[in-house]
Amino acid sequence: MLSEEEKERYGRQALISGWDQEKLKRTSVFIAGLGGLGSASALYLAAAGIGRLHLCDGDRVERSDLNRQVLYSESSLGSFKVEEAGRRIVSLNPAVSVIGHNVFLDSRNAEDITAECQVLVDGLDNMEARFLLNRVAVRRQIPFVYGAVHGWQGYAAFFHPPRTGCLSCLIRPEILRPAAVPIWGGTPGMIGVIQAAEVVKWVLDLPPSLLGRLLIYDGSGLSFEIISVEKDPNCPVCSQT
Amino acid sequence: MVIYLKAGGELRVKLQPDVDEYTRRVETEAGKSLREILDDIGLNPAFVAFAFKDGRLKRLDYIPSEGDIITLQPPVSGG
Repeated sequence: MLSEEEKERYGRQALISGWDQEKLKRTSVFIAGLGGLGSASALYLAAAGIGRLHLCDGDRVERSDLNRQVLYSESSLGSFKVEEAGRRIVSLNPAVSVIGHNVFLDSRNAEDITAECQVLVDGLDNMEARFLLNRVAVRRQIPFVYGAVHGWQGYAAFFHPPRTGCLSCLIRPEILRPAAVPIWGGTPGMIGVIQAAEVVKWVLDLPPSLLGRLLIYDGSGLSFEIISVEKDPNCPVCSQT
Repeated sequence: MVIYLKAGGELRVKLQPDVDEYTRRVETEAGKSLREILDDIGLNPAFVAFAFKDGRLKRLDYIPSEGDIITLQPPVSGG
């Protein structure tokens, strides 16, 4: 049941056809990584009124984060991201319950800390943790909302096996990855907001536009391309689902 | 046989485009896989996260046909 304050807060989005604020309030979302992607998705999901946000990151805020990680400010330097992000989100929308996990996602904690969530959002900065989160999503058959950025370029996808393929159908584990990632804030901002929008659509029973598809965004030429990601019959992760 | 390879993001520099800023014309033998073609032109397949043609994902064991336009995408891992 929404309070009068919540009805007022969400009044403008409630005007959108098919909007169901109660559903959003009943949803728990897990955001892995509170960098540039996680900042954008967490803020927009909180503003939209997702009921419970599980935030996971073991890092502290550094000055070099501030060009893109808009959850934080100069006064955040040296603090744990989970704590700063929690404060920021609660100040934005006190109706959201924030559950902080001040750890790096790994194979020992991934199942436990995601257990309550209905959808997993990727704000991670390395492929090993992404593949781990993807495996959790495949095993539990819940959506994994992929996002990744580099320079002016970003990828986003909505995987929901067994209906769709998974991250491992798209990207081979043996690829070479750059050691340092050049980035400006607009790229994770764009992709993180798209990830948040896909989550909201899924909660509202609207078909996510990126269901089984990959968005390739290139800000340098301002291009958006969407390709189909079919299930790989030999995928080591999802082919048995 | 001629195919066209396009590259997105930071893979463009490695592809060495010659048609436009994204595209390289490649002469190759019919029957070779995309992986073999990349090896032939000196582009390490490990730099390619995935490839697609006509909006559909293609594995590196895909055998291109005459005139194919295949886009190669780099690994993108930042968050």
